[in-house]
Amino acid sequence: MQDRGRLGIALVAPALAAVLVLFVYPLGYSLATAFEAKGGGFTFGNFVKAFEFYSVDIGFTLVIIGLSTLLIALAAIAIGGYLVLGENPRAVALLRWLYRWPLFIPFVVAAQCMRSFLAKNGLMNNSFVALGILEIDQTTGFLDWRGIVITFVWKQTPFVALLVAGAMAALDRSTIEAARNLGAARLRVLVEILVPQVKPTLVVGLILSFVTMMSVLSVPLMISGESPTMMTVDMAFRINNYGDYGTANALGFISYLLTAGCAWVYLRRQVRQS
Amino acid sequence: MKRNPALLAALALSAAALATPAAAQTTLNVVTAGDQNMVDYVKDFLAPRFEKTNPKATVKAVGTGPGDAGSQKIAEKLQAQKGNAAWDVDVAVIHQKMAGDLVREGLLAPYVKDVATGKLVTSESSKNALGTNVAGYVIPMFQSQTAIAWNPGLVKAPPKDYNELAAWAKANPRKFGYNGIKGGMSGVAFVVGWVYANTPDSERLMKGPYDASTKAKWDGALGKLKEFNRNVVITPGNAGTLDMLNRGEISMGPVWVDMFYTWMADGKLPPTMRLQLIGPGMPGQPMYYVIPAKAANMAAAKKFVEMATSPDVQAEGIVKKFNWYPGIDAQHVKAKLDDKTWNKLFVDVTPKDLAAKGKVFPIKPYFDDILESYERKVLN
Repeated sequence: MQDRGRLGIALVAPALAAVLVLFVYPLGYSLATAFEAKGGGFTFGNFVKAFEFYSVDIGFTLVIIGLSTLLIALAAIAIGGYLVLGENPRAVALLRWLYRWPLFIPFVVAAQCMRSFLAKNGLMNNSFVALGILEIDQTTGFLDWRGIVITFVWKQTPFVALLVAGAMAALDRSTIEAARNLGAARLRVLVEILVPQVKPTLVVGLILSFVTMMSVLSVPLMISGESPTMMTVDMAFRINNYGDYGTANALGFISYLLTAGCAWVYLRRQVRQS
Repeated sequence: MKRNPALLAALALSAAALATPAAAQTTLNVVTAGDQNMVDYVKDFLAPRFEKTNPKATVKAVGTGPGDAGSQKIAEKLQAQKGNAAWDVDVAVIHQKMAGDLVREGLLAPYVKDVATGKLVTSESSKNALGTNVAGYVIPMFQSQTAIAWNPGLVKAPPKDYNELAAWAKANPRKFGYNGIKGGMSGVAFVVGWVYANTPDSERLMKGPYDASTKAKWDGALGKLKEFNRNVVITPGNAGTLDMLNRGEISMGPVWVDMFYTWMADGKLPPTMRLQLIGPGMPGQPMYYVIPAKAANMAAAKKFVEMATSPDVQAEGIVKKFNWYPGIDAQHVKAKLDDKTWNKLFVDVTPKDLAAKGKVFPIKPYFDDILESYERKVLN
């Protein structure tokens, strides 16, 4: 029995060590430096500075990512719903094939594409002008907060849709068919039958998306130079221009707190499920 | 940061190469900060030339990565070897910000007096690196400069100074674009130039001495800049400004001159675009050739720098190939170039303009104050 215990520890040790060295140590280190003054010693100064300079950016980050999460939810439900309820097999097959593509594209590449796609005289507007939908002087660029939201939604929707569509496909079809037989429209089936049943999966997907988006630097940096900007840009700026790790880590700490709120919801749901 | 292992491996390799008793063959280690094009320049352009005239020498080019972080790594390397008799960096190429520190710490050799080309350099930046006297220790490899790029198809006459530019931007809303201070150095340079133009004592910002209370006098200048920002486009990065100029979304914006010409040569900017260095001036910065105090191959290192700063090499490599301004004084280089090449680099921004309006960045503490005051007063 004792041998088996030792074996178990030996088996888990590499994984545990990796987590400790690569995750827990850096996390603890950066949390500690958030409270460290430049010459050493404990301080709240970094947080005072973070709030003084970047409170608007913190709020902006939450609004941008909150809005993106909401739009991702709507898009993922629409895609998942059509895959399950769609009646045109060709359209369903096409959608199933297409919607996953952005999953395989890194954020930085997505940002680079969007940067020329969404610009005032970029591909999108030029296409509208060529199609006669817009006049050339009616176009506006989207390289600001809207560009960030569009890129996030484009990049993260497939991930949530993948989870949601899977959960929807696994549901007992008899509930859907019963509702349809009683005359419910597809939209009503989606909203009243499907979504409530896949809600746990949907929430988990959205939480993971939220946390991922909180950490992205390339998208706000490459899409929008405007102010306010996202916290990741401020962290990079503090380090690159002032060598100021203290304030950068204070900002990091704040973003930990924001994501920790999400993680708590996630964990509670996991525990309840198991 | 990611380049660290590669760098360590490269340095270890070069150290190993040094340790091997390769007869009378000398290996000259040239370590350069900056982007890959800097390493390529040393490896593909300078090294073959040097090896041709010095058959017993082999040049090893090592890159330490872009930006000030690259120079930081060179400094750390030298600091670590301080106690050794001979160091394995023979020639280094560093940014202006780091030069002052290295001179103060006694890590560089005062080699300029020993090389013939030392006499061809009289520029301010060869003597003063953001407030530190570096005369005798550095020769600029090149000078890069920011200027306002403008589109003659959309602008009749470019503004001559910051005041005219502010008036123009007000009259032509959202036709001027720059990348703020968080998206790269061309925007930072524009803001620094704005502060120079709109505050009484810009000389002090460039030369010191530092006084922490100076920044209190910038409120007016930054208030005007906040007002100015309402009428302009904030672009995503140095490349973002060039992209928007290329697509005709903005008609004017600050750019690095060398990037501007390189993009034009690559067909990413229309050849009709022009440059204007506006008064009272915009900053630029050099990169320096330096020789560490205890370079293992001191004599060969001096020869290498002498070759790299000769008018021929400066003309052919720095100006013609890379669109940088020469590190040595321009008149020595002009004689070596055909008119077409010379005109390309100097037609919009003349050597006279450069001398009068090519400024340096402020000394470090003022630099930080300018950026932080911008965050505080303009962004908030």
